[in-house]
Amino acid sequence: MQRDIGKPLFDLLLVVASAAAFAVSMTLPNIEIVGDLSPAFFPMLISALVFLFAVPCLIKDFREWQAAGTDGERTGAPRGVAQWLLIVALALVYILIFERLGYIVSTAIFVFACVVGLLLTGGTWRELTNARRAKSLAGAAVFAAVLAVVIFYVFTELFEIPLPG
Amino acid sequence: MIAGYLDGLGMVLQFGTLLAIAGGTLLGIIMGALPGLTSAMAVALLLPVTFGMPPVMGIGMMLGALCGAGASGSIPAILLNIPGTPSSVATTFDGFPMAQKGEAGRALGLSIVASFFGGVASMVILSLLAPPIADFALRFGAAEYFSLSVFGLVIIASVAGKSLLKGLIAGLLGFFVSTIGTDPITGVDRFTFGELSLLTGINLLPALIGLFAVSQVLKDAFEYDPNQRLKDSGHRIDVARPRFMETLRNWRALLAGILSGSVVGPVPGAGGSIASLVAYDQTRRFSKHPEKFGTGHAPGIVSVESANNALLGGALIPTLALGIPGEAATAVLLGGLMIQGVTPGPMLFDDQSGIVYGIFLAYLVANIFMLLIMCLGIKLFIRVLMVPRKQLLSAILVLCFIGVYGVDGDVFNLYLMLGFGILGYFLNRYDFGTAPVILGLILGPIAESNLRRGLQAFEGDWTPFFTRPISLTFLVIAVGLLALTLWQNYRTRRVPATSSEKGE
Amino acid sequence: MKKLLSTLTVAATMVLGSSAMAADYPTKSVDMIVPFSAGGGNDTFVRALQPLLEKQLGQDLVIRNIAGGGGAVGTSRVAASNADGYTMLAASNAMLTLEAMGNVAFTHDDFDFIAKVIEEPYVIAVGDNDKYTDLASLVEATKDGTRVRVGVSGVGSSAHIAAVAMQNRTGANFNIIPYPGGSETISAAMGNHVDAVVLGGSELRSALESGRLTGLAMSYAERSDSLPDVPTFQEAGYDLTLTVWRGIAAPKGIPEEVEQQWVEAIQQIVADGSYEETAANLGTQLSPLYGDELDTFIDNSADVMREAAGDLAK
Repeated sequence: MQRDIGKPLFDLLLVVASAAAFAVSMTLPNIEIVGDLSPAFFPMLISALVFLFAVPCLIKDFREWQAAGTDGERTGAPRGVAQWLLIVALALVYILIFERLGYIVSTAIFVFACVVGLLLTGGTWRELTNARRAKSLAGAAVFAAVLAVVIFYVFTELFEIPLPG
Repeated sequence: MIAGYLDGLGMVLQFGTLLAIAGGTLLGIIMGALPGLTSAMAVALLLPVTFGMPPVMGIGMMLGALCGAGASGSIPAILLNIPGTPSSVATTFDGFPMAQKGEAGRALGLSIVASFFGGVASMVILSLLAPPIADFALRFGAAEYFSLSVFGLVIIASVAGKSLLKGLIAGLLGFFVSTIGTDPITGVDRFTFGELSLLTGINLLPALIGLFAVSQVLKDAFEYDPNQRLKDSGHRIDVARPRFMETLRNWRALLAGILSGSVVGPVPGAGGSIASLVAYDQTRRFSKHPEKFGTGHAPGIVSVESANNALLGGALIPTLALGIPGEAATAVLLGGLMIQGVTPGPMLFDDQSGIVYGIFLAYLVANIFMLLIMCLGIKLFIRVLMVPRKQLLSAILVLCFIGVYGVDGDVFNLYLMLGFGILGYFLNRYDFGTAPVILGLILGPIAESNLRRGLQAFEGDWTPFFTRPISLTFLVIAVGLLALTLWQNYRTRRVPATSSEKGE
Repeated sequence: MKKLLSTLTVAATMVLGSSAMAADYPTKSVDMIVPFSAGGGNDTFVRALQPLLEKQLGQDLVIRNIAGGGGAVGTSRVAASNADGYTMLAASNAMLTLEAMGNVAFTHDDFDFIAKVIEEPYVIAVGDNDKYTDLASLVEATKDGTRVRVGVSGVGSSAHIAAVAMQNRTGANFNIIPYPGGSETISAAMGNHVDAVVLGGSELRSALESGRLTGLAMSYAERSDSLPDVPTFQEAGYDLTLTVWRGIAAPKGIPEEVEQQWVEAIQQIVADGSYEETAANLGTQLSPLYGDELDTFIDNSADVMREAAGDLAK
């Protein structure tokens, strides 16, 4: 069993978020309709239940975390975290430029950045010779361009799904 | 009736019609296999094309798209753990583990044959029993819908995975997310914070793609190890071919899928998304080896996939017999029917022109084309597994973006998708699971709005929920299943607790 | 896809003959924004019109479903886009409803309305036609304090507003129950879970034709050809006229000649009868209106909606 502080922290987040959701639910406006429960009824019920269920989870996961001993905190390899953050960040950038730069340009940039980014964070890059590096970059660029252009034409022309131009 | 079928056969067995059905099926298969593209989009895309065609030809083409998309949703679910539609969520439970064991070809072969049998069986049921089943579906009022959704929510316990408590929390999270948007009864804004896109609530598609596809990509990114490729190349992929005999050997699962698809499928609005989960749940519950489910067990795939295509026939029942489409894809199809001058309703089945029989036969033909195209295609699909991880990850994300943006053209949904992806990643990592979230998201609004709608219609009286026979039946079954699950949980926990103190 | 399939299939109906165009417009494909998801009334209306318009304009018409907010997201997007004639809106009275409910930033003054193409009435229909034989019996049934359950499609929808307007004009006592959409509402009426429904005529068409539901009254000034058996509210002695209309609009300020081209294209489609049968099959009827007449019509409709929405808030 790996020791992972994230597990109890996530439970804690649920406890806090459900309490906050309950508070916001209480402020929902209401329009009286004969026989109807108020619009706030279900949000309040659900957030209360999440709170009730999350507290025992928090206690159990925290105990397990304590019991897992002190043989070093391991939330996963730092490389994994870096790769994870890289993908999230690139996806966010992709959304931001999606309509502004148009589909082909933004997609090509995104795919190129993903492939090269994984090369860099994955550690493969350091092991490569300069010639192999250039080859990888060229390969990624060609893959990105072809993928973007092919998908754009397949979807807009063949499937008639409009994409930002 | 025989004469009707002969007339119908004459309409279907024409070169142009067959070609149209094959084309529609192919389009459906392609769009169903791409995560995020829906069968509704495939049918909508075909709609203008069908105008100039005779009715059976145009409708056959659209039915082909429905049928193809229904079957091919299993491909990304099995190969990549990414369900393209809510109804293929359950395909990932056993399909992906089987593929990971190196048996991707077997999983695909099973799912294709099961889809085919499910589709054909539902066509037979549709042609024989459509009017009575449609009348049964009409008896579903607010109380019955509420009880049906309670019955569905009990399934959460069954798909929860390691911890029942955490599965329930995940289901509740989905339920809470579903309350965002305009309140269905009073029209009050709930948690929209002035965002126009949220007025009609959280869309299912960005949530689904986020929770399953994006979270899976994030997991793959986290675990990505460039040195692993050497190990992977030795990884054998089995022969991909249709598995007729093995599917038939799992006839109980096949039957469970067909029944659940044909009975739950016709209930408008609720049936389509939960029929396959009901099938999976029932097959597992009454199996001799419930512990094998979730590890790549064949009946798990067969039940879900047969239900998946049986529910299409099921969904066509209210569409054709009453003019009431259950969800988006059949709604578009209904529009196509009406433009063709075919008025759905009970009279369609009395009509002597043979059109309705032509429609049944066209659906049958579509299933045959689906089987043929998929059988030819599986060797191609399976090559997806040979694409290097880096490229595959980015390509999947690119397709997710198209799927989510393509439906509503709203960038806001892309942010939602990413948010759900991050949430889904942590939910999976900390044993909550993402399938319960989707169930909560789909069934929550049905439960809430029908409870409140019922109370409004009954002027505040709760008793009809317990006195109306169908409603009572569902509630009793739901309570019974819940009790059974808790009992099974209790027993399985007792056994390891006595053998070893540690638990898991 | 279309091109591919029409060559594949034998149905070679689409001859993309470009009619002689005076001005350059359009030189590229035109975006047609449908502010709802695929499969709705708005979407079907415009997809059926698409091949005909493409033939007239000589360019592709790209249908984009920008759904969300009950039409608010897509309609706002069109209001904010360039008035160059390459972004058009599949308009309907839903945009006036949104405006009347006051949740959106646009008004109908932010658009140039090009044409109204089809319209349909609101119909009040019942499932049990022994209990309620006509509008009078329905109104009468509520006089002793019992409320008649009336299903509508969507809270705050145009059908909801129409139901409130009917309640106010007839003095009946309705328990208005919102359903998520038209099909759910109709099935509730067929199963007698509600006593009556208020919906657009096209949504009700197959239910009325099959005899499952019976129309008691509809909101046109005079009886319509598509529903000849359904009397009007005017006949029953109530002053109530409302229509559901669908048409084409553009952002405010599009060039004069572009508007002219569109009007001519639609006039041509109306004149050669190529859309008439489709419109009838959809349960609607062609009721073309252009120019100043159209603007007056839109202004009046917006006023009616605002008034009815005011009643809803009470």
